[in-house]
Amino acid sequence: MSKGKGKFFLLAVFALVAVLLGVGAGSVYISPPKILSALLGAGEENTRMLVLNLRLPRVFLAFLTGAALSVGGTVMQSVLENPLASPFGLGVSAGAGLGATAVLVTGASAGAFGAVLLPVSGFAGGVFTVILVLAVSRALDRRMSNVTVVLTGMVMSLFFSAVMDLMAAMSPEYAQRIGLWQMGSFASRGWRAPAVLAPVFLVCFALFLFLSRELDLLTFGEEQAQAMGADPKRSRRILIGLVAVLTGAAVAFSGIIGFVDLIAPHVARRLFGASHRHILPAGAILGGSFMVLCDLAARTLIVPREIPIGAITAIIGAPFFLWIFFSKRGR
Amino acid sequence: MLSVENLSCGYGRENVVNQITFAVPEGGRLAILGPNGCGKTTLLRGIMGFLPSAGTVTLDGVPLSSMSARERGRNLAELPQMGTASFAYSVLETVLMGRYAHRKPGFFSAPSQNDRRIAEACLKRLGLWEERERPITELSGGQLQRVLLARTFAQTPKVILLDEPTNHLDLRYQAELVSELKDWTAEPRRAAVGVFHDLDLAMDFADMVLLLNQGHSVFFGKKEELDPAILNGVFGMDVPAYMRRSRKRWESLGG
Repeated sequence: MSKGKGKFFLLAVFALVAVLLGVGAGSVYISPPKILSALLGAGEENTRMLVLNLRLPRVFLAFLTGAALSVGGTVMQSVLENPLASPFGLGVSAGAGLGATAVLVTGASAGAFGAVLLPVSGFAGGVFTVILVLAVSRALDRRMSNVTVVLTGMVMSLFFSAVMDLMAAMSPEYAQRIGLWQMGSFASRGWRAPAVLAPVFLVCFALFLFLSRELDLLTFGEEQAQAMGADPKRSRRILIGLVAVLTGAAVAFSGIIGFVDLIAPHVARRLFGASHRHILPAGAILGGSFMVLCDLAARTLIVPREIPIGAITAIIGAPFFLWIFFSKRGR
Repeated sequence: MLSVENLSCGYGRENVVNQITFAVPEGGRLAILGPNGCGKTTLLRGIMGFLPSAGTVTLDGVPLSSMSARERGRNLAELPQMGTASFAYSVLETVLMGRYAHRKPGFFSAPSQNDRRIAEACLKRLGLWEERERPITELSGGQLQRVLLARTFAQTPKVILLDEPTNHLDLRYQAELVSELKDWTAEPRRAAVGVFHDLDLAMDFADMVLLLNQGHSVFFGKKEELDPAILNGVFGMDVPAYMRRSRKRWESLGG
């Protein structure tokens, strides 16, 4: 077994442990054999209900969301040749959040199209924000340096969050839902959310893998990519569009969850180098498992209440961000 | 081999370089010279197709504008100015990227035996084979530039364009780079065009010169045919005299 395959094997074990913990731990502990028998349709009725209808869809949604954010972060960093870029940092998440909030507040999500409208509006908000952030960055600084892009994204994120607060204040009946949602949660969504997010994730992920060599080239900048025979403008547009779709859909279901899109790609790069063939799948597994563990902490640390998932990822992620920023400068 | 006709290009509405015409034959090495801001790099970027331009650039009679991105990548490569690496690709992975234009698109087309053989040959040629597993983020500027040169060679283009490739490089790396490029162009069906800031290095590299002043061509031809008076006029000083004085300073070293 080569070194890379060995690492992937360990990663798969890590993911399996995270999922088993996620499904098993909680108010009632369910052992792995019991989980297995529940999955096979055997065992006690209550355990089966708990596993199949509550815990499993929640773990599944958390894993998908973590994987989606991680993959989105990886692609964003490569496309902008900027290891500090992320959909969250670029305001995509806040923009997606604003789009989804608008749908909530206007009551449009209650209709028959609610299930579709929420991710679609999240996606629209996400795309809109990327375009806005990149346009403003370019207007401020033609070279679009790391600092300009990151700062513009931060400002835009804060601004959109403020608009969301404003919407919450103006429609108190939705305030609690919006507030919860700003920090993210995977609580009681059932199978509907993962059933919509899974195909979106799989399609985007497959396209990213298909474009993995273009992604490799793009990390050297648009001109070098073009000099090597790529069509960087086209690839870049497609890739950023897909990131917006993926992040927008993830955020629309689970709310704004920061830092995973920054941490997971970095850990993946540390372990697997830079080639997108490896770091895209590795980042997806890492991000997914990490999110499942964070969600586990969110619902078990202060029982019977839940900690917002975004608070947990931020508590771990903020120091991590500083570490990346300053360790890079130190070089 | 490479022929540029009436090329004008720039960044905004106004052109930075105007109506440039030149041709480089097989085996030719052209240096583009001129003072700061005369449009050397802009001209190079216009030829590469990074900038909107008017005029025609043809390679073996085929206009670059009629080629697909990949086709262009198989014919024309660029060694960029020394940069920094943001992501930790290995040296081998980086050089294999030079094969991009020769490979079929998609995830499942792994590099062919031929791609690997060419990458290996380029790495060995530049003395990088032992370094192939090292991440490029750990390399010095001079080493990184060698890796990028290996990547450019792996692209197996007909023409290599160079944009001040030796900037910020140590003297030894500068000399090595120029000598590698001269060896490369000596093989059949190849040519190179370089922008150099260092006139001495340019003269070492080139057998032909294109002299630019304020975006216009003031001389194009064989290096020996360059009239010093034109050169002095463009640079606002007696260039050959300065070079001779410089040489004397070195000859006086060590008594």
